[in-house]
Amino acid sequence: MRILVVEDEAKVARALKEGLEREHYEVALARTGEEGFYLANAESFDLVILDLMLPGRDGLEILKTLRKRSVQTPVLVLTARDALSNRVEGLDAGADDYLVKPFAFPELLARLRALLRRGRGESILRFKVADLELDLVTRKVSRGGQALDLTGREFELLEYLLRHQGQIVSREMLAREVWKETARATPLDNVIDVHIARLRRKVDDPFPSKLIHTVRGVGFVLREDT
Amino acid sequence: MIRLRPRHVRTRLTFWYVAVLAVLLLIFAAGTVAFFYFSLRNELDASLLQDFETVEGLLEAGPDGMIALRSHHHEDEEEERPRFLEVWSADGRLLYRSANVPSDAFGGFPNTEEGKGELTPVSHALPDGTRLRVVTGRHFFEGGPLLMRLAHSDERLWHELSELLSGIAFGIPLALAVAGFGGYLLARRALAPVDVITRQAARISAERLNERLPLGNPEDELGQLALVLNRSLDRLQAAFDQLRRFTADASHELRTPLTAVRSVGEVALQDQRSPEEYHEAIGSMLEEVDRLTRLVDSLLTLSRADASLMTLHANSILLMELVREAVQLVEVLAEEKKQKLAITGDSATQVPADRLILRQGVINLLHNANKYSPPGATINVRIMRRNGQHVVLEVEDQGPGIPAEYREKIFERFFRTDPARSREQGGAGLGLAIADWAVKAHGGFIELESEEGHGSVFRVVLPASESAGTTKSQGGGQR
Repeated sequence: MRILVVEDEAKVARALKEGLEREHYEVALARTGEEGFYLANAESFDLVILDLMLPGRDGLEILKTLRKRSVQTPVLVLTARDALSNRVEGLDAGADDYLVKPFAFPELLARLRALLRRGRGESILRFKVADLELDLVTRKVSRGGQALDLTGREFELLEYLLRHQGQIVSREMLAREVWKETARATPLDNVIDVHIARLRRKVDDPFPSKLIHTVRGVGFVLREDT
Repeated sequence: MIRLRPRHVRTRLTFWYVAVLAVLLLIFAAGTVAFFYFSLRNELDASLLQDFETVEGLLEAGPDGMIALRSHHHEDEEEERPRFLEVWSADGRLLYRSANVPSDAFGGFPNTEEGKGELTPVSHALPDGTRLRVVTGRHFFEGGPLLMRLAHSDERLWHELSELLSGIAFGIPLALAVAGFGGYLLARRALAPVDVITRQAARISAERLNERLPLGNPEDELGQLALVLNRSLDRLQAAFDQLRRFTADASHELRTPLTAVRSVGEVALQDQRSPEEYHEAIGSMLEEVDRLTRLVDSLLTLSRADASLMTLHANSILLMELVREAVQLVEVLAEEKKQKLAITGDSATQVPADRLILRQGVINLLHNANKYSPPGATINVRIMRRNGQHVVLEVEDQGPGIPAEYREKIFERFFRTDPARSREQGGAGLGLAIADWAVKAHGGFIELESEEGHGSVFRVVLPASESAGTTKSQGGGQR
């Protein structure tokens, strides 16, 4: 998988490159709008990460021109301007998704995967990690053959963690995807923490091996402890 | 081009004052002169006509058909008013001409129409410039008609008139000068407080906003002006103070996490550490970054609200539904503290609202109640209608209550009753500020009723929907 990152801020660019390479993506870096536009035209990428505020050539302009030339590569836009009109503008110009700076890296990964997966249509109805099983059809959860009694919210939360198993999930992602809240405010963070704690009490506490882990300062991850 | 509008009000006032006075004086002077002239002339004409009769009586036939004038007794009168006299016969012979009349000064033989009818004096000037009043009349003398022309000098009248005019010409400018000077002094005195206010106001700057203007007499116009200016200065000062406090608080709130990030990072790099310790340090730094991010987000929300960049997408919504959603979200927090959330009220009550924004406000109020109420407490949420025009949403907690001196400030950004403990509670002191803004954005306000030790009631007062309560199902749609 080849990803083109168009970002002028050196630190952010390097962090993106390093982080993505660790996830086994092949990364090409462009530091100006011109360079990005040239690369996007000349080579073939699976995905473009495009900063909107660029020296030389504005990100939106590049995006529009690319789309005009019918370059169909999915584009994820990064922007520090989070006013609604900016987002709409970006999507209108042909972006497939956007992320507001400062973004959480796990969320960037999640969105990349979603964009890359797009159109391939995989629908999973059963999840299994270690001895934990979740069935989307019967809406039953069990661990080690023992049925767990989860509330609706806990079920959705666990489902989301399972969908992203092995990947870090930030509170922002949970707020948006599970609680469907657009604004992430303090009360919501506390609410998420409480739900995670409760989920742990049911999923992990009675069992010797723990599955839900806190990654300090970033979020949570569901994985088999090795 | 000359500037027609003088710079100072007092000069303008004086100018107008003098101009009006000048017009009045000129009209008055013109009237006086006219009256004086006509009454003098009438007097003169009357004496002329009287003299005409006298002269008629003095005529006598002289030798060779000429006419002679009998001398009469009033010599002195004649001295004063020299008499000009001509007498003609009906066939055009000059019968008498007094010595002071230059030949044909009156135009020779009068035409036949002259002297018929009433005696009417007319003005006439002699070649030497002497102005006269002349009257011409018929006189029957010894059987035949004579034409008699008598004139008196006008010069005394003109002399008196010119004296009057020169008096006026001297008097009016003098009166105007005096009036102008007095008027200027008066205007300056009346406007002096304005100068004082101006100077004082100029001295008041952002750094010296605590100064106020002198009031003088608070009942008069200038006192009122000063009063109004002082009031707006009060508001300005309050706004400035709030801004200053906000800036100080904001930089404090931003610096605290930054300091933490920095020191944790620096300490971690001091010497070699185990991967676990690095993990710990980085995690700790990320936590602070997260806090910063949230803080900046909240501040952006508020500043966008301040700049009115936020547009409300208002629909008529069921308030109870919105409250239930908010309660559902916060409920787990209450459960953790064994608190009870009790909702009562009319579930058909509707309000026009932007669902997301109003809900954020309600959530913040509930969260506040949850934070400050002790474990096991009950938080009461009530929906009521107030006299048909307002919908009231009460959130009653069992917290420690808010001291009277903080009640005004509780909705200010970053305000906390106890700065020490708040960071542990996870907030930056923006929750109530956002709640307050959310309610105000809907044209409502939040009342606070609180007694120390007995909890607080936050009362959200919102304008009711016009169709409130009638259309039940319409409101619930989400955007």
